[in-house]
Parts: sequence; C-alpha cells; structure tokens
Amino acid sequence: MPFSATLDEAMMRRPEQVMRLDRMGSSFPTRLSFMRALIRRMSKEQWKFEKLRQDIDANGFGVSVYAAHTPERTYSLVAFTQDIPADMRTDRVIAEVWDATFNLFDGVPTQDDIDYLAKNTPKQEGGRFRPSELSLARANKSLRLFEHIVSSLAEGKQPDVDLVASVGYIMRTTAVYGSGKFGCADRAKIAEREECKVSFHMELLAVYLIRWFTIDLVETIAKQRGGDKAVTIDPHIRQFIGVGNSTGLGMAPFLLKHPVLIHNWVTAKETALARVRSLETPIQGSLEAFIESVNQVAQHLKDWRVADEVQSARIEQLEVEVERLSHWCDDETNLTKPYPWNGIYQFAEDNFSLECQEMMVSLIIEPHGALVDDLADTMFATTVPQFEASMPLARLKAIVKDYYAWATSIDFSLSESQHHFWYYSEDKLEPRFGSKGIDDGVDQEMPLAIGRDADDLNEQLKTASDDVTVGEFALQYPQFRHIIRRIQNTARRPYAEVQDNLLGETMRPLDLLRFKLAFFGASKFDPKSDLWTRISMYQGAPMPDQLSDANHDDWAFPIRPKTTA
Amino acid sequence: MPEQLAISLNEILFIFTRAGFGVNAPIGISEDFARSNMWLAENGFDPSLCSIAALDSLDEGRSSLAIEYSNGHFSGSGKQYLSAIQASVSALDWIKGNQGLALTIANVDSPLLVLAALGANQVEGWQVCWCDETDASFQVNFVGKGQWQIISDGSTAIELSKGATMTMSLLDNSELTLKGEIQKFDTEIEKNKILKTGVAVHEHWDAIYAYFSRCLVKSTAESRASGAGAGLVDTD
Repeated sequence: MPFSATLDEAMMRRPEQVMRLDRMGSSFPTRLSFMRALIRRMSKEQWKFEKLRQDIDANGFGVSVYAAHTPERTYSLVAFTQDIPADMRTDRVIAEVWDATFNLFDGVPTQDDIDYLAKNTPKQEGGRFRPSELSLARANKSLRLFEHIVSSLAEGKQPDVDLVASVGYIMRTTAVYGSGKFGCADRAKIAEREECKVSFHMELLAVYLIRWFTIDLVETIAKQRGGDKAVTIDPHIRQFIGVGNSTGLGMAPFLLKHPVLIHNWVTAKETALARVRSLETPIQGSLEAFIESVNQVAQHLKDWRVADEVQSARIEQLEVEVERLSHWCDDETNLTKPYPWNGIYQFAEDNFSLECQEMMVSLIIEPHGALVDDLADTMFATTVPQFEASMPLARLKAIVKDYYAWATSIDFSLSESQHHFWYYSEDKLEPRFGSKGIDDGVDQEMPLAIGRDADDLNEQLKTASDDVTVGEFALQYPQFRHIIRRIQNTARRPYAEVQDNLLGETMRPLDLLRFKLAFFGASKFDPKSDLWTRISMYQGAPMPDQLSDANHDDWAFPIRPKTTA
Repeated sequence: MPEQLAISLNEILFIFTRAGFGVNAPIGISEDFARSNMWLAENGFDPSLCSIAALDSLDEGRSSLAIEYSNGHFSGSGKQYLSAIQASVSALDWIKGNQGLALTIANVDSPLLVLAALGANQVEGWQVCWCDETDASFQVNFVGKGQWQIISDGSTAIELSKGATMTMSLLDNSELTLKGEIQKFDTEIEKNKILKTGVAVHEHWDAIYAYFSRCLVKSTAESRASGAGAGLVDTD
C-alpha cells in the first residue's frame, strides 16, 4: 500500500453480501474502474494523441485514423463511416450495417492494412481480422444529437446543453470485441505489455479514441457546412460528451465463464472499501471532498433520467436518500467520531437502498486515491483453471459444503427454479435467454447453470465414498468434470461466484450487465428491458488535450457544464 | 477473406469446446479437448487435422467415450476405438494423480490428442510411445518446461496416426527407445510466432465448424424478437 493504512479484515464485506444479483445490479463505477485507471495511466505516462488521417466527404463518410502514442508503442483507431438506411439501425448483434465501424490497430497501419480493413471492418462479424487488430467495434449515431450538434456548430452556435445532457453521446457503440474474436489478436499477444495488463484496457482505449473521433467528426462536418462561420464545441461541453453503448446478453456469459477474474476485480474493490473503512481518522481534506461529492452527485442524478419504470423509481429514491445523507453529514458529530468512513458506510447500509449503498461505496473510495489506486493494477487474471484429479473426494465434499451452500440450498426441483436457460442462436451467435417450455434449445444450453450443476454434483457426492480421488469419481461421472474444475478453482476465491440462481423465473440478466459495466466505468445506466441496457462511457473524462490538467482524474459522477449555448 | 484462413487461439477454445459437446462429449471433457487443440495450435499444428478424425469417429460410432480401467491399463469397450477425447483426460488425471506409475491406453483413435492434453497441462519428464494400426511408430518425450520432441519412423504424419496402444512412463534419458527422425519443439517460441500470425487451418475447418454449429439454436421469429431483449430497430 503506497499510503500507510491498516486493513481490518472485519471491514471486508462478505461474498454472500456482495455477490448477490440485487446488489450487483446496483453497482456504480469507482475510481478503480477500468476507464478511470486507463485515463490515469494516459496522464501519468504522458501519452500523445495524433490524428493521422481523415479522408471524409462533406457528410463525414470515409476513413479516418487516430493514434495513441504510449511511451513504448503506438495504437491506432481505424474508423470507417458510411451512409446507412434508418430502418437498418439496430443495437442488436444481428445488425448488418452500422454508421461507423472500427478497429484498434497494433501500431500504425499501412495503406495495405487500411485497404484490407476497408473490405472487412464494415462487415464486422462477417469479416476476418488478423493479430494486428486488437479490437473490433461499431457504432451508430444518436440521430437527435448528431445533426443538432453539426447544424449548431455550422451556424456558429454551441449545442443545447440540455439536449447534450439528455443523450450524452454523439455515437453509441453496439459491440466492442477483443481477445481473439473473428481472428483479432489473442489477449496473450499483448498481456505482458504494461498498458494492456489490466482487463479490457485495449478495448477501452478503442472506445476513448472513438469518443475523440465522434467529436472530431461533427466538428469537421460542421466546418465543411458552415465555413468560416462554424465554431468548435466549447471545451466544457466537449468534455461532457461521452460515448454511448448498448449492451446485451453477450456480457453475461463472459462474467460467468471467468470466475477467477471476477474474484480479482471484486477483491480489489472490496479491499479498497475496507482500507478506507479501516481508517481511524480521516486523511486531511478527504471528508471535505466527500461532502462536496455528495452535493455534486445530487446534480448528477438530476440528469440521470430513464424511461424504465423500475430504474426511474430507484433513481427517485436515491435522490431522496442522497439528500438525507447530506443532512446527516451536516451534523458534525456524525463525522468526528473514530472511523468516520465506517460510520458513513454503516449509516448507508442501515438506512438506504442498495442503489444508495453502492453509490456510497464509490463516493467513500473516491477521495482516497493514494490509499487504493495500487489495487487497480491487480484487476486481471492469468490463471488457467486446472482439474485436480488427485484431490481426495472428501475434500471436494467439504468445499461444496463450505462454499456452495448458496447453491445447494436452492430447490431446483421447482419449475420456477429452472425457468430459464441460456443459449447461442444461429443468428450471428447472438446469446439469448430462453424460457423452458416456450423456447427451443434446452438441449444446447450453455453451461452457465452454476448453482444447479453444483447442486446436482452435491447430490451425487452424497452417494460416493470419501476414500476415492476426484479423478476416480470423474471417471465414473464425467458429466461433472466442468463443475468440479470450477469448484476446485474458486474455493479459495470467495468473490468468484454469483451467489444466486441464474435460471430462476425472476432472474434479471440486467443485474449482471450493470455489475460488469460498472467495473468498466460506465454511468447513466438506462435499461431498455431486463436483457439490455444503454450506458454512457467516458462522460466527463478529459479529452486528449486535457490529460495533463491537474484535475484529469476528477470525473466521477460528472455534472453538466455551466456553459450554455 | 484472406486466402489462407487463420484463426485465433481464443476461437479454437470457443469452437472446439462446443464441437466436442456437439458429439455428445460432456462439457468438462470438451473443455479439455479444446485446451488440447490450443496447445497443438501453439506448437504450429493445424488442430483440425487430428481432431476431425476424432470427432468423426465418435460421431459415426467407430469410437466410444466409454472407458474401463484395470491395473494401470485403460481400454475402451468392445471393438470400438477408445475416443482420444476421453482417453486424453483419463491419461492426464492418471499422470497427475499417480506419482510416476506407468500407464497403457489401448486402441486410441487419435493419439496426438492424448499427447496434446499432457502438453497443455505442462506435464514434464514423461515419455509416450506407440505403434499404430499401420505399424507406424512414435515416441514423444516431454523433456522440460515447454520443451518436447517427437521421434518417429517417418512413415505417417503424427496427426494422422490412428488406432494406437500408447504406453506412458517416466522419461528414460539413457537412450531413445525409438530410432528415427527427431523433431524438437519449444512451445513458448512456437506460440509467440502463432500469436503474430494466427493459426492456419485448412480443409477440415468447415467440418469442425459444422460440429460446433450443433450447439447453436435455430432462430425463430419469436426468439429473434424476444430472446435478446433489444428492439430490432433502434434510433435515438
């Protein structure tokens, strides 16, 4: 720990408290989130950003290349833009065309590279990519905001901040692929590079460059349309423009297939919270910063408006609770006791909704960069799960009993406990969430029913002798090999499992999506159903020319700029 | 499309796991099958060449996942080959759990897959010998970390070797059991090359993909509309 602190283990929240769907579905980004950590790295290492190419017509259609120069190497965003029919603009994986398509290229692409990508990138999943491509992505315009900004700038005016705040982005990505998808580079190619070690940093570098590209695109089109009359976007408004994203079920299988990685992410966050709660006296200035952030977050919530009734109600309650917390903080006696951060957390946990509790986790951690930022470097995994054949079966039984009670206590004989199943559709391998008895595909179910499989294993273990090894058991019951391997590898990693039934009738995949997106650093969750959500990324983050500013890391819960059109 | 299809290691993991499941191998065994194929690819082999034989053989009933064990000896049942998809995990579990005791596995359909399971799990200090149904002979030595070698009589490509009774034992460094052509591999070096080029796959890839496709669910108007939640046209 770079800043001296004692971690009281009792301050660590228990896995059975943290890894529940309802709490996971109330997550917020923290300063450890990947976008935040990446921005800090860019600033610390003084990355340079350069527009290498922009060959576009008056409507903005063509090819552009934007580069990020790190101390060691260069990464380039190659962007293709095209005109598409309005009725083909969909956020789904099954889409066939997009306003813009992208690759993050490892290095600076040659003309041959660009020619190759021009034939493949616009096809997305229908193209083939190479190890030189680190990421593949696409985005669609916000029709409302794109044209508004272009026409405003062309007329010499700033865009309407209310409209900017209500949308939040000029383009919305609908997929950002990496890690070997469609022939792109495997993670192993870049995993040892310092700037790539932490999860998803290359994908989020691509998104950061996409954000810059979208802003540059509207300004360029406006300049062509308006000539000398045209202006560029006010820097404060520009910083408030993020990149949208539409996230569906594809994220859920990832979360469930990488339990060690998830454990490492959650451990980092929970350790950060525990370190702060363990402080007997506050670090100078931190309480003042916290109180200021509570007031700021109230403003942030005013701009978080969604159509979804459930989320709307949760935001309304959150606003009331934040106000209550603000009043509670006004009473100095509440903050001058020993362990003030633990006091704040406990007050939130005892009195407020999960949504508010998790927001407080973010706000409590926020003013403690010196105490917790080192944890961001631990948020990756290199482990390949092993099957330990020599483990005594008695040991496996004990692990199941100790760590999977959450699963074995679910009554899977009830139809509502096995209402759903996960599958891949033949339509571009789109992940889908089916209902038994309604949808086809139960026989092709994805192996994501962790709780049910652990429970089935437990039943079989009851009939087996303690005096055999796991290898001997698996020889007789090979259908349990996958769940045994998982259990063996998660036993010492208590935050690895979602401790809920993922097949239950009331299960909302949305909770998994929000949990993962919060780790990315996403904000303004805007659920469109229980199966997908829109979000904003990098809203409030510094633009490339602001990375050296002293406040480059101060963009948690961004609020709209005071500048008006 | 590039003239030569090259795929990533992650695609191998994804596709082969489900290809194994597509011929009714349990998912946990299919996961190992996919890891074995990744290791083959990391060492410069086209994984589809030996795996298509194993998948076809299992799918057509010439091989079986059923396995019997007795006194350091694994075998299939009846006249069928023992599927390497099953034999590979059984051999691996044996080696990991029995501290150097020798093992034989009879009548394995695709012996290279068994080796690959050992390689993928960093087995060191073991040797594997076999003579297949065409009398082609092989010895494979797992020398050290990522270091391994194939000695063969050169009559058959190792990917095509079939119907083997394999003997596995601790590596005897005193002499080579088999005299013949020696190919030496360093997995780390080969893997670094592959990470820059991708894994070249050839004519059997489509058949592998066909097995994988068995795990995909046919799309209907209903599932298309409801299964993923999002609308079919989205504008804002």
